[in-house]
Amino acid sequence: MGNNVNRGWAAIGALVAGTSALVGCSGPQSTLDPAGRGAARIAELFWGMTAGAVAIWAAMIGLALYTVARRRTEPSPRAPALLIVGGGVVLPIVVLTGLLAWGLAALPPLLAASDSDRTIVVTGEQFWWRVRYLVPGGEAVELANELRLPVGEAVELQLESRDVIHSFWVPALGGKVDMIPGRRTRLTLEPTRTGVFRGVCAEYCGTSHARMAFAVVVSDEQEFARWLAQQAEPARPATEPLAVRGQELFVRSGCGACHTVRGTVADGVIAPNLTHVGGRLSVGAGLLASEPDGFQHWIAAPERLKPGSAMPSFAMLPADDLQALAAYLEGLE
Amino acid sequence: MTTEHQEQRESLWILTAAPAIWLSHFLLSYITGAIWCAKFAGSDGSLGAVRVAMAVYTSVALGGLALIGWRGRRRTSASPRGEAGASDRFLGHASLLLSGLAAVAILYASLVAVFIRSCR
Amino acid sequence: MTGASPGDEQHAQAERLLQVWKIPTGWRYWSAVNNEAVGLWYIATSFFFFLFAGVLALLMRTQLAVPENELLSADLYGQTFTVHGSVMMFLFAIPMFEAIAVLLLPQMLGARDLPFPRLSAFGFWCFVLGGIFLCGSIFFDAAPRGGWFMYPPLTSGYQPGIGADIWLLGFSFIEVAAIAGAVEIVVGVLKCRPPGMRIHLMPLYAWYALVASAMVLFAFPPLIVGSLLLEVERAFGWPFFDPAGGGDPLLWQHLFWLFGHPEVYVIFLPSVALVAMIVPTFARRPILGYGWIVLSAIGTGFLSFGLWVHHMYTTGLPGISLGLFSAASTAVAIPTGVQFFCFLATLLMGRVTRSTPMLFVFGSLAIFVLGGLTGVMVALAPFDFQAHDTFFVVAHLHYALIGGAVFPIIAGFYYYFPLVSGKMLSDRLGKLAFWLMFIGFNVGFLPMHFTGLRGMPRRVYTYPAGLGFDGLNLVSTIGTFILGAGVAVLVWDLVRPRSRQPPAPRDPWSAGTLEWVQEMPGKPWGIRSIPQVDSRYPLWDQPNLVHDIDAGRFYLPDAEEGLRETLVTSAVDARPVLCQRLPGSSFLALAAALTTGGFFIFGTFHWWRPAVASLGAALAVILFWLWTGTARRPEKDEKDVGSGLKLPLYASGPASIGWWGMFITMLADLTAFVSLVFGYFFFWTIHDEFPPTPNPGPGVFWPGAAAAALLTSWGATVLARRWNRRDRAFGCHAALLGGAGVATAGGAALIAGPVVTGLDPASHAYPATVWLLVLWTATHVAIGVVMQLYCCARRLVGHMTAQHDADIHNVVLYWHFTILTVVITVAVIAGFPLLA
Repeated sequence: MGNNVNRGWAAIGALVAGTSALVGCSGPQSTLDPAGRGAARIAELFWGMTAGAVAIWAAMIGLALYTVARRRTEPSPRAPALLIVGGGVVLPIVVLTGLLAWGLAALPPLLAASDSDRTIVVTGEQFWWRVRYLVPGGEAVELANELRLPVGEAVELQLESRDVIHSFWVPALGGKVDMIPGRRTRLTLEPTRTGVFRGVCAEYCGTSHARMAFAVVVSDEQEFARWLAQQAEPARPATEPLAVRGQELFVRSGCGACHTVRGTVADGVIAPNLTHVGGRLSVGAGLLASEPDGFQHWIAAPERLKPGSAMPSFAMLPADDLQALAAYLEGLE
Repeated sequence: MTTEHQEQRESLWILTAAPAIWLSHFLLSYITGAIWCAKFAGSDGSLGAVRVAMAVYTSVALGGLALIGWRGRRRTSASPRGEAGASDRFLGHASLLLSGLAAVAILYASLVAVFIRSCR
Repeated sequence: MTGASPGDEQHAQAERLLQVWKIPTGWRYWSAVNNEAVGLWYIATSFFFFLFAGVLALLMRTQLAVPENELLSADLYGQTFTVHGSVMMFLFAIPMFEAIAVLLLPQMLGARDLPFPRLSAFGFWCFVLGGIFLCGSIFFDAAPRGGWFMYPPLTSGYQPGIGADIWLLGFSFIEVAAIAGAVEIVVGVLKCRPPGMRIHLMPLYAWYALVASAMVLFAFPPLIVGSLLLEVERAFGWPFFDPAGGGDPLLWQHLFWLFGHPEVYVIFLPSVALVAMIVPTFARRPILGYGWIVLSAIGTGFLSFGLWVHHMYTTGLPGISLGLFSAASTAVAIPTGVQFFCFLATLLMGRVTRSTPMLFVFGSLAIFVLGGLTGVMVALAPFDFQAHDTFFVVAHLHYALIGGAVFPIIAGFYYYFPLVSGKMLSDRLGKLAFWLMFIGFNVGFLPMHFTGLRGMPRRVYTYPAGLGFDGLNLVSTIGTFILGAGVAVLVWDLVRPRSRQPPAPRDPWSAGTLEWVQEMPGKPWGIRSIPQVDSRYPLWDQPNLVHDIDAGRFYLPDAEEGLRETLVTSAVDARPVLCQRLPGSSFLALAAALTTGGFFIFGTFHWWRPAVASLGAALAVILFWLWTGTARRPEKDEKDVGSGLKLPLYASGPASIGWWGMFITMLADLTAFVSLVFGYFFFWTIHDEFPPTPNPGPGVFWPGAAAAALLTSWGATVLARRWNRRDRAFGCHAALLGGAGVATAGGAALIAGPVVTGLDPASHAYPATVWLLVLWTATHVAIGVVMQLYCCARRLVGHMTAQHDADIHNVVLYWHFTILTVVITVAVIAGFPLLA
C-alpha cells in the first residue's frame, strides 16, 4: 500500500499543479480578478484562508501517513495528549478565533451604505433584469439587462423581484444579494477600474436560470453622465427604409403591448424597455450579440433559446419582416 | 447504588446542560437582534441596546457554564476509585469538556457584538 | 450445569431459540421483522437509490462537459439535479444511517433485536414506497424541478405540475418513517444494552447513533411543518409564502434550513462512527480520547442547530444575524476536528495494519478535511457572499459528504460485509475501487472550486463558451466518470457470485467489539446468550467470552415459552430491569405502510376521497397492530433469565420501553408544533401590524372555552390512571368516557373560534396561520380521544388491569404533551392579539 499511497499522492500533487495552470484567475466573471472594492476585500480573505487551509490539510495528511509509515520508533507516551489537546483543541481555537475576528471585521464595510445619492433599482424577472435609474424629480430612466456605473463611486443598488427569488451577482465587483418577492434588499458596489463585466443570476429561478445574465459597464464619470443623459432621451424615429418598415411592423405585431419604446406608441411595461436597445451589449439577457442577426434569432425562437421565457415566438413572420424588425431595433441606439 | 429514577434525573441529562446553555444564549441573541432590527431600530438603525443585552446574556451563560463545569470536575474527583465510579467520572469529565466547548462558542457569539454595530 | 448431558441441553436450547427467531421463508419472507432481514433490505434499497442518483449525476456532468451542450433540455436538467440532490439526501444518506444502525446496533449491543422490530419494518416499507414513487416520477417527466431546497414562490406559484406535490408529500412520508427509525435507535441505545455495558463502555458507534437520532427528532419536524405549509398553499391557496397575501418566502428558508443543516451532521456523524469502530481494530489498540469523541459527537449535534442561517447569508438579513451564524459555524469546526485528532492519536500509538477498510478511512480523512476547511471558509459571511450558490459550494459539499459519509460507509461495507454474508469482499477489487474513486473524485471535484470562483453559478443547465469554465468543466466530467467506474467495481464486488469462496473466519479482523461475536454465517437470533460486559473491547479483554456466549452461559440462552425476548437495562449503568417480549413476523407493518402511503400518494394527485379512505384504513391497521401487538399481559409476572437473575416480564411508565418511545416521539411532535408557532411570530416580525387591524379573530371566548374543556379532559385522563391503579373500574371508565366527551366538545370549540369570527385562511397569512394552529391542535385532541376510548376498551376486555397499566401510562403522557400544545395554541391565537 505504501507504494500505492505515494503514487496516489504524486497524482494529487500533479493534479493541483495542473488545475492551477489550467485556470488562472482572470475572466469577465471571476471573483479572483476583482474590479470592485468589495470583490477585492473578499479575494484577499480568500487567498489568506486558502494558504492556511492548504497548510493545515498538508499537516494532517502528513501526520496520517506518518502513522502508517512509522516503523520502529516508539512515540512518546505524551504524544496522544499533545495531539488531542494541542492539535485538536488549542490550535483550532487559536486559528479560528483569529479567522472569525478577521471575517467579522470584514463584514461591516461590505454591508455599509454608500454616500452617493444615486439610486438604482434592479428588479429580477423570469429571466431578465429591469434596471431603473431614479432621477430626483424626473422620470426614471429604464433599461434592461445592462447596468452602467461610474468608476470610483460607491453606489447602492436597491434589489427587488417581481416573481420568484433571483440573486444579483457581479463576481468581479462584489458579493451577491438575493432578490426576494415582497422584500427589498440592498447591495453597495464600488467599481475600482473601468471595463465590461458579466453578471448572472445566482439563485435558481426556473427553467432558464442559466440564461439570465447581464453586462456591467464601468466607465469614467463623464462618459457615464453622457450615457445617462442619452438614455433619458426618447427613441429616435427610424429613418432607413428597412428600419421604418420594422417600426411599422413593431406596432402592427403588437410588440408594444409588452415593450416600451419611449417616444412611440409602444408603452407595455411587463417586458424589457427597448428605447435604446440597439445600444446595449446583448439581446435576451446576455444571450446573443446586439446585432441584426441576434435580434432576428431572438424574435424567431425565444422558446428555444430561453425555455420558459414569457416572450412569444414570432417565427410565423416572413424572413424579410424579421429582418426589418431587427433593423429597427438595432437602430434604437 | 442509586435507583433507576434518580439515575435518569441526575446523570444523563447533565450532558445536555452545557450545550443547552449555549443554545439558549445563541437563540436569545439572535432573536433579540432580529426583533430589534425588524420592529424597532429599522434596517439602518443602531444596535446599541442589543449589544448590551448580549453582554448580559453572555455573563449569565458563562456563570451557568462555570457552575456545570465545576460540578463536573467535582464529580470526577469525588467518585469512588475503580470501576464503581467509572461512569460517574466519565459523565463528570464529559460535562466539564462540554462546558468548555460551550464557553468557547458563547465567546465567539459575543465577539460579534464587538464588531457589528448597526442593523445593516 | 447439573444435567446428565449438558451438551444435549445446550443443543435443545439452541434449537428452541432458532425456532423462535426463524426468518420466514417463501413469500412470507417479506413479513420478517428481524433486524438482520430488515437491516439488509434497508441497506440494499438505499444503496440502490445511491446508484440511481449517481447515474443522474453522470448525466448532469455529461451535459456540462462542453458549453452549450444540448443533451438534456433545461427542464429535464432541472428535474435531474432536483432528484439527484433529494434522493442522495433523503433516500440514501439518512436511510443508510438508519439501515446500518438497524442491522448493526443490536449486534454491537448484544441485544436480540431493536426494541420495536415492527416499527423498523414499518419505517422500511414506508421508505421503499415513498422512494419508488419519487424516483419513478422522473421517468414520466413529472419529477419535482425546484431544486432539493424547493424555494417558494418558484415551487408554489410558478410550477403548476405535480412535481412539487410529489416532493412535499413523498418526502414528508419518508421523514415520518425516518423519525420512527430514530425513536427506535434512541430507545435501543439507552435501554437495550447488555448488562454491565455502562454509559462509558458503549461502543462509540452507539454514541454517534444516539446523537444523530436525537438530531433527527428535532431537525425533521421543522421541514415536515414547512412541507405542510407549502402543500397547503399549493392545494388550497393559503398564502404562507406569497407576499401578496402577507406571506414571506423567507419563512420557508428558515424552516428548510433549520432541518437542512443539522441534516448534514445527521449524515456525517453516524458515518464517522464507522471510522471510530474501524480505527481501533486496525491500530490494534483501544481508542484514545473516548471522552473527547463523545464530546465531539454531542457538541457537534448541538452546534449544528445554530448554523441554519449560513445558507441564507445573501438574503439581506442584518449583519448581526450573519455574524452570529458565522460565529457558530466557525465554532462547530472545533468539535468536528477533535475526533479526527483522536483517531490520529490512536493510529499513532497503535501498530497500523493495512487493509482495504483502512484505505477508505485514509481516503475519507484526506477528502473530508479539505471539505471541512472549505466549510470554515464559507462559514464566514463575507467569503460566502461570493462563494454562495456557485460551484465552489458544490465542491465543498461533495468533499464534506463524500469524504465524510460515502467513503466511511464504503469502509464499513468492506469491514462489516462478513457479518452480513459470512464471506469477505475482495481485497484486490477493493483497492482498485478505492484508487478509481479517490482519483476520480479529486479530478472531478477539485477543479469545481475554481470553476465557482471564476463565476459559474450552481444549477445552470449550460454555460457560454469562453468565460474560463470550459476546460475545468471537461476535467470535472472526466473525473466523475472515473469515480463512477470505481463505484461500478465496488458494486461488482458486492454482487458477484461467491458460492465457491470459503466462508470468513469468525472475527476475521481480530476486532474487540461485541458484534464480532457473531458466528459465520450469522444466526437469526443475533447472539446465542446475552453476556455480562465490563470493557469497551470485550473480545480483547474478557477471556473465554465467545466460548461462554456460545455455551449459553449468559442471559436468555433459551426460549422456553416460545417467545422472542431481549433484555432491557437501565440507561446509565445498564443494570438489567426487564425481560422484554418482542413481536414476531407479521405483515402488519407492510399493511400499515401501504395504507399510510396511500394517503400521501393519493393526496399528491389531490384525490381526496381515496386519500381519506386510505388514512382511515391506516388508522384501523395501526389500532389493530397496537391492540394485538403491544402491552400484552404475560402469563407470569417474572422469569429467570439465567445466571440466577429473575426479571419482571411487564413494565409500565418510565420503566417500560413503550413509554420512552412515546416520550421521544412526542418530543419530535412538540418540535413540529414549535415550528408552527415560530411561523406565527415570524409573521409578526415582518408585518407592521400582526394581527392585521381591525382585529379579525378568533377572539377570546371560543379558544378560552376550548382550553377549559381540554384541561378538564386532561385532568380526567390523569384521574383515570390513578383510579385504574386502585382498581376502581367504574371511576376509570367514567373518567375516560367523560374525558373523551369533554375533549370532543373542546376540540369543536377550538375550531368554532375561527369559524364564528369568519377567518378566511385563503385571504391572508394571519388567518391561515391561526387556522393551521387550530387544526393542528384539534387533530391532536382527536387522536387523544381515540386513545381514551382505546384504554376504555382495553380495560373492558381485560388487557389493561390495575397492575398491567402500560396503555394508560402512555396515553397520559400523550395528553401531557397535548395539553401543552393546547395551552400554547390558545395563548397565541387568543392571548397574543390582546398584547400586540
